Formats: sequence, C-alpha cells, structure tokens
Amino acid sequence: MSLVSLKGVKKSYQLGKTEVVALKGVDLVIEKGEFTVVMGPSGSGKTTLLNIIGCLDRASEGSYRLDGEEIGHRDFNDLAEVRNRKIGFIFQNFNLIPVLNVIENIEFPCVIRGEGGKELRDRVLAVARDVGLEPHLKHKPDELSGGQRQRVAIARALITQPQLVLADEPTANLDSATSDQIIDLMLALNRDKGVTFLFSTHDPRVMEHARRVVRIHDGAIVDGTDSAAADVARMHASAH
Amino acid sequence: MFNLARLALRNVLRNRRRTLITLAALLIGVGVMVSIRGLMNGFQRSMVEGVVTGQTGALQVHKKGYLKNVLASPLTLDVPATPEFYSKIKAIPHVTAVAPRIMFAGMVNLGDETIFITMQAVDPALEFKVCPLRKATIVDGGKFKDGGVPDAMVVTTEMDKALKAKAALTKDPPALLAPDKEGQLSGENVSLVGTLALNGPGERKLGLVRIDVAQRLLKMEGRATELLIAVDNIDEIPKVKAALQAALGPEYEVSSWEEIAKFVVDARSRQEVIVKVVAAVFLLLMLLGVANTMLMSVLERTREIGTMMAVGVRRSKIVALFLYEAALIGALGGVLGATVGALVTAWLNLRGLEVTAPGSNVPFIMHPYVEPSYIVQVVAIAATGALLFALYPAWRASRLRPVEALAGG
Repeated sequence: MSLVSLKGVKKSYQLGKTEVVALKGVDLVIEKGEFTVVMGPSGSGKTTLLNIIGCLDRASEGSYRLDGEEIGHRDFNDLAEVRNRKIGFIFQNFNLIPVLNVIENIEFPCVIRGEGGKELRDRVLAVARDVGLEPHLKHKPDELSGGQRQRVAIARALITQPQLVLADEPTANLDSATSDQIIDLMLALNRDKGVTFLFSTHDPRVMEHARRVVRIHDGAIVDGTDSAAADVARMHASAH
Repeated sequence: MFNLARLALRNVLRNRRRTLITLAALLIGVGVMVSIRGLMNGFQRSMVEGVVTGQTGALQVHKKGYLKNVLASPLTLDVPATPEFYSKIKAIPHVTAVAPRIMFAGMVNLGDETIFITMQAVDPALEFKVCPLRKATIVDGGKFKDGGVPDAMVVTTEMDKALKAKAALTKDPPALLAPDKEGQLSGENVSLVGTLALNGPGERKLGLVRIDVAQRLLKMEGRATELLIAVDNIDEIPKVKAALQAALGPEYEVSSWEEIAKFVVDARSRQEVIVKVVAAVFLLLMLLGVANTMLMSVLERTREIGTMMAVGVRRSKIVALFLYEAALIGALGGVLGATVGALVTAWLNLRGLEVTAPGSNVPFIMHPYVEPSYIVQVVAIAATGALLFALYPAWRASRLRPVEALAGG
C-alpha cells in the first residue's frame, strides 16, 4: 500500500475575477521510506501540491489517499487530526512559536493532543539529541541561529512519529554549511529511522541527495510520477 | 486547559508595550468606575444623613391617617408629646432621641398686613438631638436655640425680608395667628430673633417657634402632630421601624425617612442612572480598546496561527487561546483598576471631601466608600467584557485557512 496516492488532483482558485488553475490533474504515488524532491520553477504548483499532500489545503477535484485512507473530502477540523497524527512539517521560515522554548516547541504537537509527563519528556530529549539541540533546550527561538531553529522545526516534525514529513524549501534561509548539516540530518533520519520525506526545493544540494525527483511544470507533473519509474530513471542517470 | 492558559499568559507578556497600553486603558476605565461609585456612595450617604439629621429624623411617628391628609395639616390627628410616651419609644433598641413637632399653617400679622407662613413648632432642646444639622441652618438665632427668649421665632430669609419691610411701617410687635385645634383663630406675640438658611423645596416660607408657644396658640397642650426619632445606626432603620410599630399599635403610623423625604429617594435613583450611564461609557471605551488589541494581535500572528493549525491545533482551541488572552488582560486590568480606584476612594474617605449640595448653603463633609462586592463585580465585568469583545478577533483567527495563514494572511 502506497503512503501517498493522488489521482487526477486539480486545484483552482479565484484571484479577483480570474480563475487560476494551480494543478491540472496530478497523479502521484509516494511509498513509505522515500526521500523525494518536488522541483519546478516558481508558480509551477509545487507548493500547492505540498499543501494538498500536507492537508493544509484541499483539492478542487480528484482523489487523495493517505496511508490507504481517502481524505480528500474531509473538513479542516478532521484534517487537523490527520496533520497532527500523520504528517510533520518543516517550513522555509522555520515557523516556531516565539513564546515557547526549544523543548516546548518540540513537544507542542503532542501536548495539544493531550500527551504529557515523563514519557513525552524522554521522547523530546531523544529527538533533541538526534537533531543536535541538547545544549539549547531552554532557549527561545529568537536566541537561536537559523540552523538551530530549523533543527527545532525538524524535531517538532518528528516528535509525533509521523508517516510523512513535508519540507517546503527547508534550506532556503540557511547558509551552505548549515544547509549541508540539515540535509545530512534528514538523510540520516530517512536512512536510520525510515522517515518518509517529501521536499520542495530549488537547492541543488538537496536534489543531489534525493532518491527521486518529481518535476512539475505549469501545474502538471512532467517527470517522475510514480516511484518505480523514477528509480529506473535515476539508475539510468547515475549510470551515465 | 493548562497549556493554552500558559501559552496565553506568555503571549500577553510578549508584546509588553501593547499590553501595558491596554492595561492602562482598563486601569483608567475601571479606576474611574470604582472612584465614581465611591464618590456617589459618599455623596448619597451624606445626603441621607443630611436629611435624617437635618430634616426628618430617621423615623417619624404620626397618628394613623395623618400623612394621607398632610397637606391640610390636620391638628386633630395628633400624638402625645409627653415624657411617658417618649420613654415608650426610647425603650426600643437603637433609638437615641425623640423630638416633638407641630406642623401648622399660620399667618404673621404686622400692623395692617398679614403674611401666610408654614410653621413648625419644635422643642429646641430635643429637636437638635434628633436633627443636629438643623442647628447650623439657624443664623443669628442663639436666643431661639438656647431658649433665652420664650416667644422667639425664626423665619426663612425670604420671609424675613418681607416681614422687615412691613415692620418698618408699624410700631406693633409681630403676632403669629393660626386657627386652633377647634378651628378658632387665635394669636400670640412673637419676637423675630434670627433667620433660617433654607432653600429646599417647600422651605422658602417657613418659620420656627418653640413648641410651648404653638401648644398654647393651638390649644394642644401635651400634644404634637409628629414625633421625630433618631437611631444610632441608619442601617437599623427597618428593624427599629417594625419594633416601634409593634410597640405603639395600629393607632399610630411609623414611617422611615424614605417615606417622608421622597424627593431624596427620587434624587438617589436619578443619580444611580447617571452613574450607570457613565460607567457603561467607560466600560465600552476600554473594551473597544481590548478588542482592538486582540485584532492587532491576530493580524500580527497570522503565520503563527497557521503554524499551530499545521501541527494540528483545532479551530476551537485557536478561539480559546485568544479568549484566554483577552480574559487575562481584562482580569489583570480590572484588578489593577479596582485597586487604584479603591485606594483613591480610601484616601478620599480618610481625608473627607467638603461639598455643598445644590440648593443648600450649608457645606458638609462627605466620605466616599465602595462596597467590596462592587469591586468584585467590576473586575468580573471587565474580564467578561474583554472576553466578549475578543470573540470577533478570536473567531477571525480561527476562520483562517491554514495555507493562507502560513502565507501570512
């Protein structure tokens, strides 16, 4: 069973009096454990695609199955549950909650669903250790560097043990050395813990490490629709 | 829920300048509400005390039916004015003094002229025990007050002027004429020894004589038309009234000052309306301030709201978060404002404020005060009001779509 399965997904929205079509019928399958990059020029629809997969937005048409369950028709409050349980987010601007310290930011998705106590605290410390945040646990986001903030965001995305982590341009606001560290960190998490990652990025270094690249142009996928085909394409690419 | 409350508290503390400005608005609003209430309480208590100790006494005893016919000043509906009867009244707990009065319509005759006058006959020794403030309304009337001149009479300034004009035209001493209890016109010579500084409603053409003069004139020896009663604590008036009525029986009617001085009760309810309108205006202004703060906060934190939604916070919890924040600001501002208001009131209470009531030229010292229950009420209103006025901003925050909110609205 595929983790993500999109069939004929269309998305259009009104911009003033004109209707903008952001996705023109996308079919996409992502399997568990993939490390996939969606790439395409600005306005190609990659952020819209990620938003729909992340349940932050809903498709106008088509079917979206996450972990075998059709969720395309669910309302926002239902989707809040799905986002909380199954998906982790890493944003370009980190999007931490400014009044919470590192520990509190990491545990936030668990706390809002009622978890707490020592078990959670131990998990938070373990995740913080995994992403290298141990010396900064009591710091507020404004006391951290960009790279440290993104590590907090990664830890927050991982704390719920989600099936899928979505990362929208995660290295766009980081210098190259920090970017490399963050990419290595995500690769390690993918490799060692089997976390499924889906990126949108312009960053060639992220693409270098991707095991699969999905190219999107004008709201349609032009390359890499299903993962088996992608693997073949990549094998060919690496052979040359 | 503990987490939301804690998050709300941190958010409130986060933009300190804005929180301080909102708190200042609440502080001033609630402070003014409490102070105005305190001033009004003080003024009303002084007004009541002024009436009780300056005009009516705390309670009055009349013959049954007297008050219904009060405009005709019926002398036949009279009550005993004897030490025995006073003792019976004084036996009731909290009663401190009793004073007799006779109210009657009379005329002052000077030569060929006669002027109509409303008369009160009092026993100065007893009257000033029940109505000590009354003493101050008598100007140059030492001879009346101490009983040095048995036929002494004092009249209001307006009457005094009219009488002096007539007195210049005759050598005869003034005479007080009135129909006695049996309806026969009779008269007594009087000496004008001073004036009454009164301007209240129905007080302009008033004269005072000693009760023994009036009793002779009206053939009412040992009688009076009303007895005034002083109590040691005005809060005990209802209890004393009931006890007195029971002791005296149905032949007499016991009335509290509120039933006699209806104009004071009316004035008090008019003042209440004004106080409530002023308080409502202040409340509305400060709550609009809170609503504005919350709306600003929602606009500034759009991306953060998006983040919270992205990690799975439900809409109801976003609403709850902003409502918590508003209620915190409301409660904190309310407590601070009420504290300041209560301190100002307490200071004024200790210091005392000299006030002259409209229509009077006798100043009195008032002591503002507020009841703790009012302070609790005001703080609750500020917090609840802040909550209500934050409903719209909170609802707006919760209606954001996650994808729009993450993009910064």
